[in-house]
Amino acid sequence: MADGSYTVLAGGTDFYPARAGGLGGRPPESKVLDITALEGLRGIAEEGDSLRIGALTTWSDLLHAPLPPYFAALKLAAREVGGVQIQNAGTLCGNLCNASPAADGVPPLLALDAEVELASQAGARRLALDDFILGNRQTAKRPDELVTALHIPKLSARARSTFLKLGARKYLVISIVMAALLIDLDDKGNVSKARVAVGSCAARALRLPAVEAALEGRPFDEDLLPRIGDEQLDPLTPIDDIRGTADYRREAAVALLRRGVEALLSQEAA
Amino acid sequence: MPSVSMTVNGRAVTGDVEGRTLLVQFLRENLSLTGTHVGCDTSQCGACVVHVNGESVKSCTMLAVQADGAEVTTIEGLAKDGELHPMQEAFRENHGLQCGFCTPGMVMSAVDLLQKNPNPDEGEIREWLEGNICRCTGYHNIVKAIQTAAASMKG
Repeated sequence: MADGSYTVLAGGTDFYPARAGGLGGRPPESKVLDITALEGLRGIAEEGDSLRIGALTTWSDLLHAPLPPYFAALKLAAREVGGVQIQNAGTLCGNLCNASPAADGVPPLLALDAEVELASQAGARRLALDDFILGNRQTAKRPDELVTALHIPKLSARARSTFLKLGARKYLVISIVMAALLIDLDDKGNVSKARVAVGSCAARALRLPAVEAALEGRPFDEDLLPRIGDEQLDPLTPIDDIRGTADYRREAAVALLRRGVEALLSQEAA
Repeated sequence: MPSVSMTVNGRAVTGDVEGRTLLVQFLRENLSLTGTHVGCDTSQCGACVVHVNGESVKSCTMLAVQADGAEVTTIEGLAKDGELHPMQEAFRENHGLQCGFCTPGMVMSAVDLLQKNPNPDEGEIREWLEGNICRCTGYHNIVKAIQTAAASMKG
């Protein structure tokens, strides 16, 4: 494995289509290391002040797990990953290792401040997700390393999240823009924490610190909506492609973020 | 070549396969179970859906060696003693097919749905079929067939 000649295989939902010469574009590597028999890498467990999601945990496993409300964004994203059979096979960690700019799982996991656990013969290390995904299909994983888990820090019971995806149709579609929003509230009902991430608008999904700063410390009400604007999208570098123009993506990103705040407000009211 | 053993439709089978052999190839080419179709090769169409250890998966998205030791059910395994499975019967009664290419995958997906949710509403059925593409029917009669099967399997 250390010489990099093996492709690590889990759910295979990106690997097989690419192998068939389909969407992935990369030539399939000849040697495959199937890790799906490692039962210990599957499942979600509490571990001190965080939750550990094993590398073989599938999207369906996540959807069926009882998790706190701030996992709503990740569960909404899970439902967007292909159809049911793809959700039964595909894994969260595989989505990260494949590192597509349009990976549905990445914005919600960025908003959850996820850390990626890597293991090799040299030992284990953890990287913030933001430092793990470096660019379009590039990660910080060394060839001798295996991603073994994700760690999600626990938040207060008041923390909420949501996920929105814009595609050309409702189902089975690659995102034009997607957004994940997570907020936590203090005792006065003010936004104590805002974490916002947008995908499909740069080589990798990115947190938007300017949007977060515009929301934090403010009362959690409709006055937040006009505080989100085009000028806060700076880290994003959307491109023109077959799915949309860069200008359209910027406009759509602002719209999705505002709709996300509206969705969180109505969750709170419900 | 690696050897694989699994139970397919209640029958123990073994075979020597190349490591790169997909489960769907093993079923079709080694076992001649050609009811499982290959529509797209890119994990999108759902014509190849089978059950592995009771859960529906796309058999083009799994290697045969990954199913080693598993219980596999294909469309050929649904009818018992010459009697169609209630889902197959409901597809026939409601004309839930036209060309029939997607039908094996549709039926296998639908059976898994009713295992998990015996009483799905129309929206739940349509959402469940996201990963099964039909180019003929417009899905209307497929949804009707699944509703009929849900009713008959309850009674």
